[in-house]
Amino acid sequence: MPVLRLPKFGKPVKYAYITGRVRAMKTKLIPGEMYPRMMAMDTSEIARYLEETQYKDEIDALSKEYSGVELIEHATFANLAKTFRKLSEVSIDEPSFLILEFLRRWDVWNIKTLLRGKFAGVSDTEIVKYLVPAGELSAEYLDELAKKDSIQDIISAFDGTDYASALAQYDGKNLASVENALDKLYYFRMERAVGGTLSVGGGLLLKFVRREIDIRNLITLFRMNKAGVDAAVIQENIIPGGKLHDELSRMAGQPFGEFLRSLEGYPFWSSISDIATADIDAVSRIEARLKAYLIRYAWALSNYHPLSILPVLGYMVSKETEVANIRKIVRGKEAGLPAELIEEQVVVA
Amino acid sequence: MPVIRGTKPTRAVLIALKRRMKVAKTGHSLLKMKRDGLMIEFFEVLNKAKTVRKELVDALVKAEQRLHMAMAIEGTVAIHSVAYALQTEPSIQLQSRNIMGVVVPKIAAESVQKKMYERGYGIIGTSAAIDEATEAYETLLDKIILAAEVETALIRLVEDIDSTKRRVNALEFKVIPDIKDTIKFIGMALEEMERDNVVKLKMLKGKSQRRVAAEEAKKLAEAAAKASA
Repeated sequence: MPVLRLPKFGKPVKYAYITGRVRAMKTKLIPGEMYPRMMAMDTSEIARYLEETQYKDEIDALSKEYSGVELIEHATFANLAKTFRKLSEVSIDEPSFLILEFLRRWDVWNIKTLLRGKFAGVSDTEIVKYLVPAGELSAEYLDELAKKDSIQDIISAFDGTDYASALAQYDGKNLASVENALDKLYYFRMERAVGGTLSVGGGLLLKFVRREIDIRNLITLFRMNKAGVDAAVIQENIIPGGKLHDELSRMAGQPFGEFLRSLEGYPFWSSISDIATADIDAVSRIEARLKAYLIRYAWALSNYHPLSILPVLGYMVSKETEVANIRKIVRGKEAGLPAELIEEQVVVA
Repeated sequence: MPVIRGTKPTRAVLIALKRRMKVAKTGHSLLKMKRDGLMIEFFEVLNKAKTVRKELVDALVKAEQRLHMAMAIEGTVAIHSVAYALQTEPSIQLQSRNIMGVVVPKIAAESVQKKMYERGYGIIGTSAAIDEATEAYETLLDKIILAAEVETALIRLVEDIDSTKRRVNALEFKVIPDIKDTIKFIGMALEEMERDNVVKLKMLKGKSQRRVAAEEAKKLAEAAAKASA
């Protein structure tokens, strides 16, 4: 892992301005009681409803290019990117730094999409459609990267940045190792960045980041243990860090039944205990529950210190959840998935 | 009575036709056995094809549901992005096998079912829904390959049963009766010729007897004339 040069802010920073902005932005989120109503609407009615919300501009702008569910999905992603960029623009000092660190997950997402697109020989216009410029890398810079001729050119563009060490793992045949390295780098940076903050709420944010790492590792264990993958291979896919790293690492490669038994007693167990059985058909159901557990944890933390980074974290998680909920409802309804299946995936406060 | 056109009613043709008749009857019974054997094989393959087709439809429904689920959970944007990472195309080896003389394909596929970590995308940044959709499509591809093998075998068997049936019917209702009739016709023609010959011989015999009698009568008359003179 690279040695990061993280800024030192020296003393606690005031969060009054950014939390005030976030409170105002929060009022624009879709209220929880709207989701059951959206479940009863058809796609065009949902699109009409979204036209009355903050998504209006994006729906209008993208309606020439897309229609139906595609329009809603691309519009919600575009709005997410715009909102997060705005959030990073209106913040300064430590909040700005922490927000950007959190939003780097979208940079990682975009770098992975660029690499995958070039790997498959997809045109730059097609790749750009699937980029979400919500992180530090601007839409213009990502467009430039998409126009590069090869993966090597994209990798070279990141020379001198923290991403270079992760991108250097590209062997010309497979992207899995680079993708994993990028994800590990993100969580490594995030843990280090949050660990360096002195402000109120920093400790709780660090707790959240560590829990997120644990949940991601847990999901990896569920997926790979269920598939009967060797412990050594699973270990390669475990993110370093997190509170339960050592305990979870020991569970790698365990038979699925034994693995489930060893999870009993952990704080997240109650959220999955009713469906986590040895004969479960779809691990995605457990994953949905664990992600919902993490989202609810972030929401719970956001109320601890009103003038800290925590309400900002709560808002960012809420915004991502809102976009995911809309997508799950419209996509699920379009595919004719049973209502119970959609409801299981939708996370409401 | 349909007789093979242009057949000369000779003994040599009769012998040749009788030989042909023997071959036709042997061929007919062999083809009948082949047809019956192919029918038994056909029903076995048909049952297998029905099972495979049902499994294929089930796998398709499951794969579509899993893909829609993954699209709902992760979004098409993520699914497209992940799909770009998959580049290993499964290879197919085509061989052939023989079912009672019918050549049917045997398809062996490689690299269809991959291990989770060999699919080309990183595990950490993706979700179980993507794994499940990928796995469901891998199973579907396996079923498609199997269905292609079984259904092609079924089509080939049907074609061969059809042609064998036509051959059996042609032998049974056309070739054998025609030869039979022709043999009968030649037999009758030969008998007729024989009767003709007998009559001719009898006529010749009568003629010669009459000539001998006339000559004897003439001689007797001459002897009587000489005696009276």
